Amino acid sequence: MEQSGKLKMKCQNLSKTFRTPNGSFEVLKDLTFDVRENEFLVIFGPGQCGKTTLLYMLAGLEGCTAGTVEHNGQLVEEPHHSRAVVYQTMALFPWMTVKRNVGFSQKVRKVDKQKREQDTQKFIDLVGLTGFENSYPVQLSGGMKQRVGIARAYCGDPDVLLMDEPFGHLDAQTRYMMQESLENIWENEKRTVVFVTNNIEEALYLADRIILLTDCPGQICKEYTIDMPRPRSLVDPEFLRLRKEITQQMNANESNSLSAGNRAEMEQK
Amino acid sequence: MSKKNQRARALAYGGGTFLLLLFLWEILVRMTDSQIPFPTPFAVIERFVDMLFHNVGYYYTIVGHVLWSLSRVLAGFCMAAVLGIVLGLTMGWFPYVRAIFMPIFNLLRPIAPLAWIPLAILWFGIGEKYKYFLIFIAAFVPFTLNSYAGATHVDKQLVGAAKMLGANNAQVFFEIVVPAAVPSIFSGAQVALSNSWMTMLAAEMVCATEGIGWIIIAGQAVNDMTQMIAGMLAIGIVGFLLANGMRLLERRCLVWNNQGN
Repeated sequence: MEQSGKLKMKCQNLSKTFRTPNGSFEVLKDLTFDVRENEFLVIFGPGQCGKTTLLYMLAGLEGCTAGTVEHNGQLVEEPHHSRAVVYQTMALFPWMTVKRNVGFSQKVRKVDKQKREQDTQKFIDLVGLTGFENSYPVQLSGGMKQRVGIARAYCGDPDVLLMDEPFGHLDAQTRYMMQESLENIWENEKRTVVFVTNNIEEALYLADRIILLTDCPGQICKEYTIDMPRPRSLVDPEFLRLRKEITQQMNANESNSLSAGNRAEMEQK
Repeated sequence: MSKKNQRARALAYGGGTFLLLLFLWEILVRMTDSQIPFPTPFAVIERFVDMLFHNVGYYYTIVGHVLWSLSRVLAGFCMAAVLGIVLGLTMGWFPYVRAIFMPIFNLLRPIAPLAWIPLAILWFGIGEKYKYFLIFIAAFVPFTLNSYAGATHVDKQLVGAAKMLGANNAQVFFEIVVPAAVPSIFSGAQVALSNSWMTMLAAEMVCATEGIGWIIIAGQAVNDMTQMIAGMLAIGIVGFLLANGMRLLERRCLVWNNQGN
């Protein structure tokens, strides 16, 4: 199904280098991949491999040092409401109630008020926050805040949802619950999702396809197509097998880069 | 210990110290033999109550004088709020506005409101306008500075989020920058209010025919220490009420910022 899906986003030879006082710092190197319509693509990689930077580049929040990002055949150069971001830090507007947070995109785009109210309620219901319409973010728990984040992203009528470790700040229990909810939401309202995480279980639970990145600079190491039926079980043999395979691959990368680093150090001496 | 108990105890300690102070004052006055008799606390309170019902000067009771003073503070404070918030927020968010106004503002900022008194009298005469102007200067600086700080410290991720959701530049300013700066503006307002209250006294002491500052100066003119101290008491009470009123308003307006509940 992934292969047959329509092309949604196209990244070609993406690279990103940050210039710091101590010289330049390459975070991403020569990434080329496609995102297909309605697929759940997970970008998985170790700690600081530039996953968030990559997502911001897809969003148009961050420029590319080299390469191009296309969305529906158009070059991505700045933020646009057709690509919605769900942030690790939630980034809710603290002075707005849940309802106003969720309706923000339609309000600033001057969508007809009746449609706005309908959609806002629909997505608040969808993420399970019925009854909290008039609460402020400060009054909600972490998991509930991120539900608002997801509803807000959905309510902007996006074509692509970009999620930056959205459950990274949540405790383990809430995290499992949110993964289940997100899958439900996504099954109900199919969208193209690019989801960044460093949690292998999360990746395997949610993904149609996983792109494994190497450690700094982030490069595509391997791609996995996951076609286990949903909802998946965390203790399914196939699940455990893939989990082992991908973890081993990641560890191999790490020891490679470690030994490469050692070698460089030796040569310097 | 319960919270209620703690509060009761704090109140008892605070009240006790206050009563002790009054007692010492009374003792000291009785024991010293000064040429100009220093009033006892009871004399001051008695006079204060008397001032509530009888005119001080020809026209107003102390309530009337306080209202005059408050009207001046209100006028200067409101003008400063409007201009200061607009200037501060735009300087904080738009680099061009900052480039144009920041140097001038920084140059004028350290000049204390009191230094403006002679010029202000020359420009505006000794009527109301001169007092409004001084109070405006006193409140304008904290309003501008805090609005500026609020606008420069807006969470950039919220700005990014608003843009991703389709907000244009004007909407980012009005929907994100302005509300994000409100807590900072409120702390500026608190400083501005106490600055205005103090500057109003100075302005009235220099030239006025009514107002709380005038009560004190008029007391000095006739060596009436009781009137001066009763006037100071009024300043303390009203200042305290103003600051608390502002805090109450802040809590009302910033429900979203209350971490507690």
